[in-house]
Amino acid sequence: MKKERYLLPLILILVWQGLSSVQVIPSYKLPSPVEIVLGFKDILIVGVPPGHLLHNHMLYSLYRVALGYAVAALMAIPLGLLMGWSPGLLRMIRPLFELVRPIPPLAWIPIAILWFGIGIKSAAFIIFLGAFFPILLNTISGVLSINPILIEAARTLHAKEKDIFSKVLLPGAVPSIFVGLRIGIGIGWMTLVAAEFTGVKEGFGLGYMIMTARDIQRPDEILAGMLVIGVIGLLIDIGLRAIESKTIKWQ
Amino acid sequence: MSLDLLELSKTFPGKGPGESVHVLDHLQHRIDNGRFVSVIGPSGCGKTTLLRIIAGLEKASSGTVLFEGKEMVQGSEEVGMVFQEYALFPWRTTLQNIEMGLEIRGMDKPKRRLTAMEYIKTFDLNGFEHRYPRELSGGMKQRVAIARTLVMNPRVVLMDEPFGSLDSQTRNALQEFLLRIWLKRGDTIIFVTHNVEEAVFLSDEIVILSKRPARLLQCIEVDLPRPRDRTSEGCNKIRRGILKILEEEMKREEVGDEDRWDRL
Amino acid sequence: MKKINRRTFLKCSAAVAAVTALGGVPGLSRAQGPVIKAAYLQSDIHHLPLWVAMEKRFFDKEGVRVEVAGIFKAGPEMMSAFAAGSLDIGFVGNAPTITALANRTVKLALLAQVNTEGSAIVVKKDGTLQTIADLAGKGVAIPGHSTVQDFLLRKALLKFHLSPAQAKIMVLKPPEMIGALRTDQIDAFIAWEPHPAKAQTMGVGRVMAHSRSIWKDHPCCGLVADIGFLETHPEKAKAIVRSHVAATDFIHRYPEEAIRIAIKYTGMDVETIRLAMDNVHYTYLPSVDGIKEYVEFLTQLKYIKVEDTTAFLDRLMRTEILREIMRR
Repeated sequence: MKKERYLLPLILILVWQGLSSVQVIPSYKLPSPVEIVLGFKDILIVGVPPGHLLHNHMLYSLYRVALGYAVAALMAIPLGLLMGWSPGLLRMIRPLFELVRPIPPLAWIPIAILWFGIGIKSAAFIIFLGAFFPILLNTISGVLSINPILIEAARTLHAKEKDIFSKVLLPGAVPSIFVGLRIGIGIGWMTLVAAEFTGVKEGFGLGYMIMTARDIQRPDEILAGMLVIGVIGLLIDIGLRAIESKTIKWQ
Repeated sequence: MSLDLLELSKTFPGKGPGESVHVLDHLQHRIDNGRFVSVIGPSGCGKTTLLRIIAGLEKASSGTVLFEGKEMVQGSEEVGMVFQEYALFPWRTTLQNIEMGLEIRGMDKPKRRLTAMEYIKTFDLNGFEHRYPRELSGGMKQRVAIARTLVMNPRVVLMDEPFGSLDSQTRNALQEFLLRIWLKRGDTIIFVTHNVEEAVFLSDEIVILSKRPARLLQCIEVDLPRPRDRTSEGCNKIRRGILKILEEEMKREEVGDEDRWDRL
Repeated sequence: MKKINRRTFLKCSAAVAAVTALGGVPGLSRAQGPVIKAAYLQSDIHHLPLWVAMEKRFFDKEGVRVEVAGIFKAGPEMMSAFAAGSLDIGFVGNAPTITALANRTVKLALLAQVNTEGSAIVVKKDGTLQTIADLAGKGVAIPGHSTVQDFLLRKALLKFHLSPAQAKIMVLKPPEMIGALRTDQIDAFIAWEPHPAKAQTMGVGRVMAHSRSIWKDHPCCGLVADIGFLETHPEKAKAIVRSHVAATDFIHRYPEEAIRIAIKYTGMDVETIRLAMDNVHYTYLPSVDGIKEYVEFLTQLKYIKVEDTTAFLDRLMRTEILREIMRR
């Protein structure tokens, strides 16, 4: 029943509020739910820093992620399809990627700033690094997991290499590609917020907002901001899943 | 006009270094156009490999396949293949699966649609045009697979145990269905099967292969008029004969092994 | 390796144990009691008095033991440490102190000032920007929102009839500012010493305006103490303040020695340190008016909500210790 799902979180929030009200949980450590709601009102109406309102922070962050993510997907999907298709190419490129992949995107921040300066390009680059590898690896896996007999069936229907690529590999890999896309956006979104901690030219961004809230000693706004970030991440995932189920009707 | 298998041999590399697996051993046979030929033999003897070589999915180690006097090349338009596992593209509807080959050939959409719809009707798939393979029964899936192959009008139709994964009722139904279609079209069909009864019911000719490496053991003409009664004495007689040949073939290898033991 | 005679070793150990039990070797250290946890900001030359007090053993002479429990990159980080109860005293900007106290995330008191002035607006050395008016439409970096540098920049812009929105203000950590200036990511920055000095000695920047020319005698850093520590060990707090006064006097009297100590704690060269110290006014006397103006600025910009400034200042400033020391 739908209502039961919300019972546990509701109880937790009530207990939390109770403990905060009697200062068993001191507010400087963890603001109470009420304080967080008020903090949300402040980030919405007053802004952090004052004058920089929440919706602008959201828009700038979403824009940065969209840029880095789009580049990652546009590069990773075709490359993944090719690498899945050609064992030679896979063997050649894979060691390089296996070396780069474990480096956390955040470690690239100083280099990103040197290469791209402070601004949207370096933030987008960090996102790109976070999103690229899951999309690539899942695309490759999607191709490799296509039943070989489908490729043979296509050959018996006189498919040439380009037909096999476009009519078998690509549609066959789509479910895995979607998995990669969802993981990629998740990582990209998480990375963005932290990446913004280091340098934001325009003065807008959810990570920047939280950093500023910290600088001006407003833990209630920090938590409200964190919740906003979490909710947006959730909505993005739900959105992708919806697109996925509309696109892949055949599973 | 015929399909000729000339000294067809195939060897695969084995597990260890220097080891190899001989699958086909100088197979020689002629299959005349328009005939329904079944290929039968012990498990793993190379029936599928033979089919794949004709289809162009494998290359023979030596020997050739000629069609109407000309050497058959990989990807030849003359050949089509139906697989035991249906091999339908799961992301394509019934209609789109049937259209696949026509799409590859470059036929424009309206014409493709028209052609494919004809087959939907003939193959009794009405109402399922826009369904996906996961929504179809085994029998339906195989009909789609056959339609997909036949819509291309190949001169030679290869079928690799196409009814092997179906229950016996569906199997029988599909055999009759295939026969009906074939009688109207007159394609050359090379039909690999395990099921002797099936072979006897369907074929003009039954080719029996030996154990690996496969050579031609025997060729049996099935002269009985169609439609055939599976339980008739004529069918039973031929069936018994084939079973006996196969039994002896199985024993022969074992005896051979015993000989080798004695010689050690 | 020379083998130590077992008997000799035992004799020595016994001697050391006896001496330690008797309260140590005279002249080495009279300090006793719990160790006081102190913090300062990394390479922040404003906090030189603390370094001097440690190097010159002023704390020891006052009978307290002080250890550095944290070196922070910025004030807000130190505030978090205070909130968590990890620190007793700190050398930190008045700005983060006021903000934290107003938002009730910490319980601190300002015991004494550490310095006034000591910041500067820096532009590119060979650039075309001359006066503050030229900053219109330019990118200027500040170390953070609600910092004194933020306030100084706004004050400066206001003086030249520019609104803060007319400059493209962005937040950068001071160590990154010089690099950003050099590569033209920003047109100017305002930061605390020694960063402006470093920009000059590196040949990257030149000072457009010292902070003293924007706001004379403006407050900058202070010596703060955790209220819990203050109330439990008032005598130790007093000792700390005395050491701080002594250290501040020392800087004025022996500048060359102070420079040497500054080099040690910042790792920067003598030229930079000299230039930086020229711009800093070390004093232990808090400027009440300056701090008041600062509180009003933060309230006006909605960073904090302080209705009664006087009451707030009473809560913040516990300078009775300083006054007592000064009376003697």
